[in-house]
Amino acid sequence: MTEAAIKVEDITYAYGDLLAVKGISFEVQPGEILGFLGPNGAGKSTTIKMLTGQVAPKGGRAQILGADITLDDPDIQARIGVCFEEKNLYLAMSAKENLDFFASLYGIKDPDSLEILRRVGLADRAKDRVKTYSKGMRQRMMISRAFINKPDVLFLDEPTDGLDPVTSASIRATIKEEAARGAAVLLTTHDMFEADELSDRVAFINDGVIVAIDTPENLKLKYGKRSVKIRLRNGSGVREETVALDTPQSGELLKEVVGSGEVLTIHTEEATLEDIFIQMTGRGLVG
Amino acid sequence: MSLTRMFKILRKDLALGPRSPIFLWAIILPFALTLILQVAFGSLFAAKPRMAVVDEGASEITASLRKMDGIELTVLDTPEELKKQVKANDVDAGLVLPRGFDDAVRSGEKPLLELYIGGESLSSNRLILSVTTLDLVREVEGTAPPVDVRIENFGNEGLPVSVRLVPVIMMYALFIAGAFVPSSSLVEEKENGTLSALLVSPVKASEVLVAKALLGTILAFVMAFMTLVLNNALGGQPLVLVLVIVWASAFSAVLGIVIGTAAKDSASMFTLVKGSGIFLFAPVAFYLFPEWPQWIAKLFPTFWAIDPIWQVAVLGKGLDAVWVDLVVSLGIALALVPVIGVLSRRMQRVLVAE
Ligand SMILES: Nc1ncnc2c1ncn2[C@@H]1O[C@H](COP(=O)(O)OP(=O)(O)OP(=O)(O)O)[C@@H](O)[C@H]1O
Ligand SMILES: [Mg+2]
Repeated sequence: MTEAAIKVEDITYAYGDLLAVKGISFEVQPGEILGFLGPNGAGKSTTIKMLTGQVAPKGGRAQILGADITLDDPDIQARIGVCFEEKNLYLAMSAKENLDFFASLYGIKDPDSLEILRRVGLADRAKDRVKTYSKGMRQRMMISRAFINKPDVLFLDEPTDGLDPVTSASIRATIKEEAARGAAVLLTTHDMFEADELSDRVAFINDGVIVAIDTPENLKLKYGKRSVKIRLRNGSGVREETVALDTPQSGELLKEVVGSGEVLTIHTEEATLEDIFIQMTGRGLVG
Repeated sequence: MSLTRMFKILRKDLALGPRSPIFLWAIILPFALTLILQVAFGSLFAAKPRMAVVDEGASEITASLRKMDGIELTVLDTPEELKKQVKANDVDAGLVLPRGFDDAVRSGEKPLLELYIGGESLSSNRLILSVTTLDLVREVEGTAPPVDVRIENFGNEGLPVSVRLVPVIMMYALFIAGAFVPSSSLVEEKENGTLSALLVSPVKASEVLVAKALLGTILAFVMAFMTLVLNNALGGQPLVLVLVIVWASAFSAVLGIVIGTAAKDSASMFTLVKGSGIFLFAPVAFYLFPEWPQWIAKLFPTFWAIDPIWQVAVLGKGLDAVWVDLVVSLGIALALVPVIGVLSRRMQRVLVAE
C-alpha cells in the first residue's frame, strides 16, 4: 500500500476556551476523495486550517506527504492546493492575472491558466477583473486557483458553495478528474448528496469529533434502514404506510399492506447520509 | 527566504499600484502639497524685503544696500515718489538720505534719517529693513556701538519659509509613499484574505514583508526625489543625496511595516497612523520654527532620517555632516526588526482567528 497523502492522528484545536476540534484521526490515500460531512460549526474548516498550516494544532500530529505539518516546508506547500471557505482573490486583477501570479509563486514557468479557467467555465471571462464576477464565478475562480500547481493534495472547503446545480455538477466532475490524476482530496460540505456522489469515503463530523468514517455504501448498509412507502386509497381518503425491509417479518407485512386497499404508489426508500447522520448524532446537517 | 518569490510579490504590487486609489493618492499628494505651499507661502514669504532709497548725495549706505543679496533695492529720485510707492505697498520701506548724510554722521551731528514703512508690509520685512538700516548707519559712523548688538538669524540663516517647508513636504512624501502605501497594502491583503492564500503557498511571511518594504522604499524614493526637484533643492553632491534619500525611504518603509503588521484591519491602521502621525511629523515642525529649541527635534526617531536630506539637499552639506544621523537612524531601524518579527508572528495568528 502506498503511503497516505494525509495522515492525521488525534489532532485538536481550541479557539480560546472553545474546543473546536476534539481529537480526530483519519488518512487520505493518493487518488482518494474524503468528504467531511457535518453541520455548521462542526470543526471542518478548523481541521483544514490546521492541515494547511494556517493554525498550529494544540495537540496530536499530522503529516502531509510524509512531512509534519508544523514544519511549514515550502517544498510541501508547493504540492498542496487550497480552496478557502472565504473567497480571497485579488479583485483588481483579472482571472488570468490571479492564476499567473499564483503559478509564479509555485515556480511554474508557463502556467496553462486559460486551460484551467476553461475547466471551471471561465475561459471567456479570463481577461475581466475578478471584481466584475458574480458570486458563483468567484467561487469557480477559487477552485481553479487550487488546481494551478497540479497539487498532490487538495483541500477544498465547501467547493460548490453558492453554485447552481449545473455548475456544481461540472465542478464535481473536475474534482473527480483531479483525484483520478492521483491527487488526495479532502473536501468539506454540508450537502449530503454531494458527499455521497463525490466521496470515496465520508467522515461524519459533529461537534469536533468524527462519529463515523467509511464509504457511503458501507455507512448506508451499516446504519441505514431500507423501507417501502405505500400509498393506498382508503374509502374516500388516502392512507400511507411505511414497511421496513430489513426485518424477518418484512415480507408478511408488505403482503398485508398491499392487500388492504387500492395501491396508488409504491416507493422504495434508501436511507440518505443525512438520515444516518441524524440517527448517529441526534441532529441534522443544517441548522 | 526566496528572493524570486519576494520579487514576484513586489512585481504584483507594483502592477496593482496604479489600480489602487491609495497608491495614486500617494503619488499626487506631495506634488499637490508642493504646489499649494509654494503658491501660498512661497511667493508671500520668500520675496525679499523691498527697500526704496532716495539718495541725495552719494551715501555709502546705498552702496552697501545694493551689495546685499537679501534685499531688493530700488533707487528713486524724489521723496514724493518714494512715499507714494511705500503707500502703495510697492516697496516695504523707503529711506531718504539727505545730501551730506554720511559726513554728518561721522562728525557726530545726529542728522535726521527718514525711514518710511508701509502699513501693509510684513512685520518680518519691516524688522529686517529697520535693523539693516541702523546697522549700516553705525558702519558709516565707524564707531563701535554702545552695546554689542548681535543680529542672530534664527536657525537656518534666515532661510525663507518656502525652503523651511521642504522637510514638511518631504516627510509627507516619505510617509505616505514609504509607510502608508506598504502598510495599507499589507492590511488590505489581510482584510481580503489574500495574505492567507499567499501563506499556504510556498511564500513565507518574511517574503511578503520584504516585498512590501521594498515597494515603500521604491515609491518613497521616487516621491522624495521628485519633491526635491520640484522644490529646487538638490544640494551639490548627487551621490550623497541619493544615499540619504534611499536611507530615509527605507526608514519610512520599516515604519510602514511596523504599522502594517501591528494593525489588524484598516480601521485600526488609521487609528495607528493618526496616533503616530504627530510623533512622526513633530521633528519637521522644528525646521519651520527655527526659534524653537532645536534639540527637542532630535528626540523623535524620524528626525534622524529626515535631517540628512535637509543637510544634503537644502544646506548642500556632504557625508561628513550626516553620517551620525545615518548611523542613529540605522540603529533605530535595526531595533525595529525584532519588533516586526514579533508583530508578524502575532499577525499570522490573528489572521486565522478573524
Ligand atoms: N476565528 C474563530 N474564533 C473563535 N471561534 C471560532 C473561530 N472559527 C471557528 N470558531 C468556532 O470553532 C468551531 C468550529 O468552526 P469551523 O469553522 O471549523 O466549523 P465548520 O465545520 O467549518 O462550520 P461551517 O459549516 O459553518 O463552515 C465553531 O464552534 C466555531 O464557532
Ligand atoms: Mg467551515
